[in-house]
Amino acid sequence: MSAQFFLQQCLIGLTNGALIALVALGYTMVYGIIGLINFAHGDLIMLGACLALSIVGALGLAAVDPAVTWVAIAGLVLVCGLACGSLNVAVDRIVYKPLRNAPKLAPLVSAIGVSFIFMNIGLFWLGSADRSFPELLPSDNVLPDDWGLQFTQKDRLVVLIVVPLMVALSILVRWTKLGKAMRAVSQDPTAAALVGVDVDRVIAATFFIGGFLGGAASVVYSLYINTIGFQMGFQNGLYAFTAAVLGGIGSIPGAVLGGVVIGLVRALASAYVGERWTGAIVFAILIVILVFRPEGLLGRRVREKV
Amino acid sequence: MLEVRDLEAGYGPIRALDGVSIEIGEGETVAIIGANGAGKTTLLMAISGVVPTRRGSVTFRGQPLTGLPTHAIAKLGVGHAPEGRRIFPRLSVRENLQLGGFTQTNRAAVARDIDEACAIFPVLGERMSQMGGTLSGGEQQMLALARALVGRPKLLLLDEPSLGLAPLIVQKIFEVIGSLSKRGIAVVLVEQNARAALKLADRGYVLETGRITLSGSGKELSGDRRVREAYLGEG
Ligand SMILES: Nc1ncnc2c1ncn2[C@@H]1O[C@H](COP(=O)(O)OP(=O)(O)OP(=O)(O)O)[C@@H](O)[C@H]1O
Ligand SMILES: [Mg+2]
Repeated sequence: MSAQFFLQQCLIGLTNGALIALVALGYTMVYGIIGLINFAHGDLIMLGACLALSIVGALGLAAVDPAVTWVAIAGLVLVCGLACGSLNVAVDRIVYKPLRNAPKLAPLVSAIGVSFIFMNIGLFWLGSADRSFPELLPSDNVLPDDWGLQFTQKDRLVVLIVVPLMVALSILVRWTKLGKAMRAVSQDPTAAALVGVDVDRVIAATFFIGGFLGGAASVVYSLYINTIGFQMGFQNGLYAFTAAVLGGIGSIPGAVLGGVVIGLVRALASAYVGERWTGAIVFAILIVILVFRPEGLLGRRVREKV
Repeated sequence: MLEVRDLEAGYGPIRALDGVSIEIGEGETVAIIGANGAGKTTLLMAISGVVPTRRGSVTFRGQPLTGLPTHAIAKLGVGHAPEGRRIFPRLSVRENLQLGGFTQTNRAAVARDIDEACAIFPVLGERMSQMGGTLSGGEQQMLALARALVGRPKLLLLDEPSLGLAPLIVQKIFEVIGSLSKRGIAVVLVEQNARAALKLADRGYVLETGRITLSGSGKELSGDRRVREAYLGEG
């Protein structure tokens, strides 16, 4: 097998990995701030895909002039992002916030409950069969022919949406007042409140941002894979959650790295070993890494003395 | 400026404060001394709204604080350097100080206040980009105090600022605390180091198992036989 084939698989892996990373961010941010593994995150994205499908259908976006396709896609990302972000905030308010001081298992079990509720809403919305999502973008190659590599308009879409969102997120977390407050709350919520940070608002903002990224991911996923179904949240959520743990849960760069690693491993495993082995290989590698680095690739090794 | 009336607070079945009343005037420094577990930390945490109160009231400059969330109390001008320092270990020293000014809307003013804090504690100025968690214990305590000062409090609650520190650093910290009243900041100082605290304070209270048992000027208390025996290691 040629180097070109290998490069091609890497390209596929990177693109898929970027999408996984976008979802993984939602897990890692919520975990970082309140220590909750938000099991409903994958299903939130499924609902985002439902909404995207309904909007595309209602507005007839599948038939728009190619010149405005990008405007339509940007609009979809924005609307689904806002919707998923708001829904995430609402769930936090109604379900997780009353359990803030309860033992950790209580919100965890509630999150599983929310996941089932979302899935039922999705089942009601889409029906039980998978639905095809209209092709808004053609699959023609955007790279020069003599490179011998495929990178389609859809692949490019993933990069064009995911990378700016990640850059924006890093800037927000690193430099803004909200970002500093988010990091402070994740380290010591009481101390943050004592300097005047409204902890509940910061947590709500974190749920909103994680949900927004999930909503954006739902649109990218729908346009990239072109098939959605009420159970899509489970498998996608599982891989993204795995990426977050692999990178070091709570770490934002970790979630991105974890997503890219899992994307690459999946692509290479399915090309060189076989599609049906990918799940086993991904999780075998996860286990090996966690044995040697239980805190994940970029996670913290120990708690500092405080 | 602060009036605590008949305050009761606790944790589940534990009643940590049982009818505590104290008063702090404008710019006054008041020491609270008491044995381990007497309820000193609980009192400060109840004033800041971290520990909910069950009975009684806290009034700050005429405004009731009881029931307000912690961040709102901070915003009114109640600073709090909590027990155990609790700086943000994975934020830089600069970011820790910036968070101290979180309730301030004027960025330039916060930057000036940070410069001023670094003039008081030069070692912080040298460590601006270092993570808070990598500072030594003494440096962390200075950071905790500086962080609280950047918030421009009118009242500052200090919970054992000298705990576990070398004598030279203790002296430095007490010097800074002593200078606060000149800047018009009222201070509630909780201390194990009763001798130093009473020397510094205008007045003091003795807290024993959730009740105030003695109060008076710093001099009176350091002269009191019971205080000397129980808290100053004499007699
Ligand atoms: N989070 C908590 N849960 C249950 N009980 C608590 C908690 N915090 C304090 N207590 C109890 O409340 C009482 C008062 O504790 P507090 O921390 O206010 O004492 P303190 O005077 O600050 O003591 P120290 O000098 O050791 O810091 C103690 O009996 C303590 O065991
Ligand atoms: Mg204490």
